[in-house]
Amino acid sequence: MTEMNAWLDVAALVLILIGALLCLIAAIGLLRFRDVPTRLHAATKPQVLGLILICLAIALSLRSWPVVAFLVPIVLVQLATAPLSAHMVGRQAYRNGTIDERSLFVDELAQSRQTPPAAGG
Amino acid sequence: MNVLTIAIYIVFGVAALLTLWRIVVGPSILDRAVASDVLLTLVMCVLGAEMAINHHTRTLPVLLIIAAVGVFGSITIARFVARKDTVDR
Repeated sequence: MTEMNAWLDVAALVLILIGALLCLIAAIGLLRFRDVPTRLHAATKPQVLGLILICLAIALSLRSWPVVAFLVPIVLVQLATAPLSAHMVGRQAYRNGTIDERSLFVDELAQSRQTPPAAGG
Repeated sequence: MNVLTIAIYIVFGVAALLTLWRIVVGPSILDRAVASDVLLTLVMCVLGAEMAINHHTRTLPVLLIIAAVGVFGSITIARFVARKDTVDR
């Protein structure tokens, strides 16, 4: 049984390493991409997959059901809130003009961009 | 403290430094918002990794709270940022 525990610990460490590499990939993407939407694309990788991997590692490392029951809402809340901030930041980036216009093939929001400033939103 | 643990620490550290560099250089406030979101996710991942490595459960509530309220920072920035803050690009 202790041998199996050691293997589970090694598996948890490998999962953590993969999650850390996802964070590193996101950081490299933040540095090398050019405008806000592409950086947003890189930034959302560790927010979902990296955190799921880390939570799996915690479950493998601690091996108790109450901890798993605590990890499930963490992942669900993160899955629910990550698109909110990404949506708001991406929308404001479009309205701000901080995107590279020439990189857009289709601009379906061109009309809604003409809304007057007092219209809110 | 084996090879895997040291590799994990180094990778997390390099990722945090690169993200901090993006927060410092900008160029627009939305870039900084995205980068600080990534930094917050990095904090969550580091807390979870530390729990898994050292076999304790003390920071589980912190993970839940950060996952719940961490989103408000970038939402607020995106909502109230000026419509035009275009800088020379």
